[in-house]
Parts: sequence; C-alpha cells; structure tokens
Amino acid sequence: MTVFHFLNCAALTFGPHVVYYSATPLSEYDTIGTCVKAAVVYLGTALVKLVCLATFLKVPENDKFDPYQELMKIFIGFIDVAGLYFALTQLTHRNISQNHKFQAVGLGWAFADSVLHRLAPLWIGARGLEFTWEYIFQGLEANANLVMTLSLAALGSLMWLRKNKPRTLVPIIYACALLLATMPSITSYLRRSLEWQTPRVVGFELFSSLAMAFISWQLFSACQRTM
Amino acid sequence: MSISSSSGDVLASALAVLLVLLACVELGDAAAAVSVYRLIQYDLAGAPLGSRAASVNHHAAALPLPAGADLSRSALVAPLLDLPLAFLREYLVQKKHLGALLILLPEKFNDKDAAANNDGNGQLKGALAELEKLLLHEEVPYPVYFAFQDDNFDNLLADIRKIASSGQPASATTGGYKLVVSSPEPKKVASPIISNIQGWLPGLKGEGDTEQLPTIAIVANYDTFGAAPELSVGSDSNGSGAVALLEIARLFSRLYSNPKTRGKYNLLFGLTSGGPYNYNGTNKWLRSFDQRVRESIDHAICLNSVGSWNDELWMHVSKPPENPYIKQIFEDFSDVSKEMGVSVGIKHKKINVSNPRVAWEHEQFSRFRVTALSLSELSSPPEFLESTGGLYDTRESADAESITRTVRVVSESLARHIYGLKGRNFDVFAENSSLAINPRYIQSWLDLLSRTPRVAPFLQKNDPFIAALKKELSEHTADVYVQSDVLDGMFTFYDATKANLNVYQVASVTFDLLFLLVLGSYLIVLFSFLVITTRVWIIPILQL
Repeated sequence: MTVFHFLNCAALTFGPHVVYYSATPLSEYDTIGTCVKAAVVYLGTALVKLVCLATFLKVPENDKFDPYQELMKIFIGFIDVAGLYFALTQLTHRNISQNHKFQAVGLGWAFADSVLHRLAPLWIGARGLEFTWEYIFQGLEANANLVMTLSLAALGSLMWLRKNKPRTLVPIIYACALLLATMPSITSYLRRSLEWQTPRVVGFELFSSLAMAFISWQLFSACQRTM
Repeated sequence: MSISSSSGDVLASALAVLLVLLACVELGDAAAAVSVYRLIQYDLAGAPLGSRAASVNHHAAALPLPAGADLSRSALVAPLLDLPLAFLREYLVQKKHLGALLILLPEKFNDKDAAANNDGNGQLKGALAELEKLLLHEEVPYPVYFAFQDDNFDNLLADIRKIASSGQPASATTGGYKLVVSSPEPKKVASPIISNIQGWLPGLKGEGDTEQLPTIAIVANYDTFGAAPELSVGSDSNGSGAVALLEIARLFSRLYSNPKTRGKYNLLFGLTSGGPYNYNGTNKWLRSFDQRVRESIDHAICLNSVGSWNDELWMHVSKPPENPYIKQIFEDFSDVSKEMGVSVGIKHKKINVSNPRVAWEHEQFSRFRVTALSLSELSSPPEFLESTGGLYDTRESADAESITRTVRVVSESLARHIYGLKGRNFDVFAENSSLAINPRYIQSWLDLLSRTPRVAPFLQKNDPFIAALKKELSEHTADVYVQSDVLDGMFTFYDATKANLNVYQVASVTFDLLFLLVLGSYLIVLFSFLVITTRVWIIPILQL
C-alpha cells in the first residue's frame, strides 16, 4: 500500500512533464537535448541562489512575515529569471523554432525543479505506513509549477528573443513576467502571513497558474500574429 | 574504449552507492509513538503463563465492538475501567483469539487526599487487582501491553469509535489506524540472579567475653513482581520495608559508632531478593551462612508491607505466642506501640514443612530453627504472587508517615531490648534529638524505590540500583557483602518487557486504487488536450 502510494504521488508529480513532452511536437523534433541543458542551467541557478540566500538572509527567529527578508528573497528570485535568460539566449540549441525552444527550456526547467525539490521528500515520506495528504498536494503544486514555468519561459522568449513586438503589449509582457517571477514570494506570504491552509494555497497556485498561462498564450499568439 | 568503460564503472558504482543510500532511508514517522509495557511472560514449573507473544502489527479496534467484528486480526485498545473482565475471561476461557490487547492505565493512580476520589479509587484498585490476578495466572497467546492513557489515546479511541460506527470494522480494505510494535522474539532469561545485600553492625565485646555475641537480624526483601515488570515499583510491597530497614540501619549506626553506646548485640541487616518466589532468596542467603553465625542469631525481624497503616500493625510468628522469647519480643513491641497510640496484634501461623508455599519471610528463618517474626500491616498471609508490588502499588499507595511509625516501633523496642531499658519510660529516638527519625530520608528513598521497577530476574548482578543499595548500606554498616545466587528452577522468565508502539493512520487500498484511477484519467485528459491544442490547432496558427 505504501509503495503504491509513493508510485501514485510520483506519477502525479512527474507524469505531466513526461506527458507534455510526448504529447506536444517536442518529441517529434527531438528536443531532449535542450531540456537537459535547461535542467543543468537550473541546477547551476539553484546553487547560486543557495549561496546568495545563505550569505544575505538571517535565520528567522519567529515565523512572522518580515518584509525586508521577503524583499531580499524576491531579489534572489530574480536570479531565476537570469538563469532562464541564460538558458534561452546564451545556449546554442539545434535548429528549433522559437515556439518549441521556450517549451523545451520551460519543460526542462520545471522538471529539474520538481526533481530537486520534491523527489527526496516523496521518497522518504510517501513510503511510510502513515497516510497524509501532503504528497498529493505536493504533486498538484508541481503541476502548477510546470504551467507557471512554461508561461514564464514564453514571456521570456517574447522579451529577449523576439525583436519586433507591438508597442502596446510590451508593458503587459513585462508586468506579467514580473508577476510570475514573484509568484513564490506571493505564495509564501499567503502561507505565513495570512495563514492560509495548504489546500487553499494549492488551489490558488493552480488557479493563478492557469490564468497566467492563458494570458501568456494570448500575448504569445498576439505577437505571433503581428509577425 | 578504456575511458568509456571506466566511466561506465564509475557510473555503475555511483548508482550502487545511491541505491544503498536510498534503501537505508528510514521509513516515515508515525502519528504517535508511545512507550508500552508488556505483560510478564513466565513459566511456572513448566506451565506457560502470561503473554506469549510480543510483536504487534494489527489494525486497532475499540469497545464497543461493531457487530460481527473479527478480533483475531485486530488489536483491541481499551481503557482499564471500560474493559469488562467477564468479556476478557470469556475470551481466555474459550481460547478465542485477539490480535493483541492494549490496556490503558490512568495516568495518576489516586489522590489520597481527595475524598471524592475514594470511590473511584477503590474501584480502580479493585479492577487492577482483578485484572492482574486474571492475567498472571492464565496463558495468553497474544501480546498484552499496558500504556498510560493521555490525550493522544483519547483522540485515537474517539476516532476508532467513529470509524467503527460507520459500520465497517478496521481492516486492510477500509483504512483506519494500525498499531505496530516491532519487538524481537522474547527470549528466556538465562540464569535469573537474585542478589542479597547484607551489612553488620558489630556489638561491643566486653573484656571477659570469649563467646560469640548474639545477633539480631533485621530483614526486608526489596524486589517485586507484577503483571507488567517495567511498572512493578512496589512502593508498599516491599519498598516500604526496605526503606524502613535503611532508616533503622542509619539510626543504629549512629548509636554503634560510639563505643560507649554500642550494645552487646551484633546487628545484621539483610536486603533480600526473591521475595515473591516463596522467599527463595532468603533461603539461599541463610544457607550461605556459617552454621555458628546462624546459631548466634537471637531473633530476626522481617519487615513486609509497612507503608500504609494507621492504627494497627501485625506481628506474624510461626512459634506459638506462649513461647517465652516470642512473648518477650511481643511485650516490647506492645509497650512501645501503646506509648505511640497504636496497637500491635499477634498472629500465629504454623509452618507446614511439606508445603513449599512460604507466605512470610520469617518462615524461612524458622525452617533453619531461628526465632523470627514478620511485621506487616497485612493481617492475613498474602496469596502466592499477590501483594508483591503489582500495578496498583505505586508511590501513592505508601506514605512516609506509616514507615516512620514502623521505624519508631521497631527501633525503640530494639533499643530497649539491647540496652535493657525495660520499664524506664524514655525515648531513645526522641524527636528533635540527634537520633530523631528522619522523615525526609524515608521520603527520598521511598521516592527512589517508587521510580525503580525491581523484578529480580531482570535485575543484573551489576545493576546500578543494587550498587546504590550496597553503597547506602555501606554508609551505615560494616562488612557489606552482596551474595548472588541463581533463582530456583521452578520459574523461567522471558525478556522483551518494554517496547515502542507506533500508531499509524493508514488509508485503505480502495483509496489508493481510486486515486490511481483519477490520476490515470487526469494524465490521459492532459495528453489528449495537449495533442489537440499543439498539433491540431497550432499548425493552422503557424501557417498564418
């Protein structure tokens, strides 16, 4: 029963990534190399973030929401964006279209994020006899994270890879990208200050990720049309 | 070629290390982990008694049971007062099987001051005594554990009852709580050792005395026996006797330290073990003495359960009360007790040499033709394996005042006998004197004994508690010696007396299957959605 539960939660956490890869044309164009490179860039980014967090953040004495610490965390979160920039622009990819590039990078990025943050707790916790909803929520969060990373990658490719964008849309693109980049801080604020319970937070994440995905899709197709 | 194979080797070894690491990760933690204490498992003359199993891996069930519940694969969790003994007896007599039994004991046993508690108190004591009697003399083929009831268990019971009331008993298919005790198979305790600790206070030999000084022995057994060996602290039986002995030793060591006040009697103090087993230890201890030493014992005073009496103390003898020695000793006791405002009664029980049952410690002395008596608050001899420090006998069942009174009775009469003060009306151990009885000493030793389970077969020869008793006796007496011997073969004990219980909340298999179904459909829907949106729709968009 317990290994069964572990396998279920693992499927929930990592399944969508695999499904995404196989369902979309990414598999046809064999973009696995891009995904792997993006995953490696994510690992490097995570390392840099860790070092910065260790250097600049104080250990919190209590669980209160400290605005200065959170601001610092947001700035460190921008390292993520820098990493994505690096992965999208600086790496040499095989000849794949812009469309597929951002998807492959986003997928690799999200997969590495899930593995790094969620595989170990899953392995240790979900195999025990004790049943909690925790790992199911974690899987749902991984799903939301995938969608958000894809949206961020899409907006990133719009910002950095596309030269001619309609003037009116530019501020919206930047605003949405900012919102996506600060999403982790927003959820931690909800969890700690407003003391939302985990189901509510996960619901919020899912809803907001779908909303942001829809908006980015519209922006992307709008830019696509004007090309 | 070689480079790639070496990198392959490195990869393979890295993978192997990773797999080993992953396998070593401890599986998840439980909702609650509690210390539980197992019912004693022992063989008496070959007959197996007590709980014969130790590991538990069953779903939890609670009373009231749902109809048609099969308990043979469940662990029944029941608070002490909710467990009807008739139900348990029926299960034992009809040899019906339980997966396991977990009995919850109330945290604080009683509060002697609260009059309102007296009814509940008596009921509790009665229930515990009956339960102990039932479980000790039956062979129980499943594990029986005791635990203390707290909020966690209250919540657990409420949850179990809620699940049960929905109509389905807990099992693998319906989820609920699982109790897991992973305990090794109980093994026989190879040679159970009983350690008797003795100390001497030598008397003053005069210039012309050539023969041995007479000895007066004061003896108490310090070990216990009960349903749960880890909980058998026996404050009254016989922690009170051992503490009284220590205090008497302390008082007389002060008197004997000055040659001017040293009496013409040797004093022998004996803390014996093996009390519940027909005072086997006392027998071995006496046997270890040289015959001349044994013959020099004028009389022996055995203390047994002196911790909870108010007005009446009993002196049990095996020689008839008309015997002049007995008469004199009894008069000493009566005089002192009358002055204190309490009474000492005398009870005579003849020894039947063919009967192996030894109800009082003095009977062992009598079998060696040494005059002896037992002082106790009990008016009738205890049954075999009763009043030996069971579950009910905790710190609250003994009080320092009773022990102080006992010490006064014994030491005053002893002093009058040794120093020939009969008829003179003054207290040797008067209050506010340097020889006053110290109630704080009694209290602190009683507290210590009430925290230490002392079932003899589980006390090693070098147990720190025995070392502590030896050290304390050395403070007051000389020639302290620990005599160790093996307990007689009639008893065989098994270990695994304490374990950790893990309570897990488990989901049923149906839940997992349902979840798998939902997950499968979600992934299929996701797949089709992505195929449709990216291959079917995007292509027209790209072609724009």
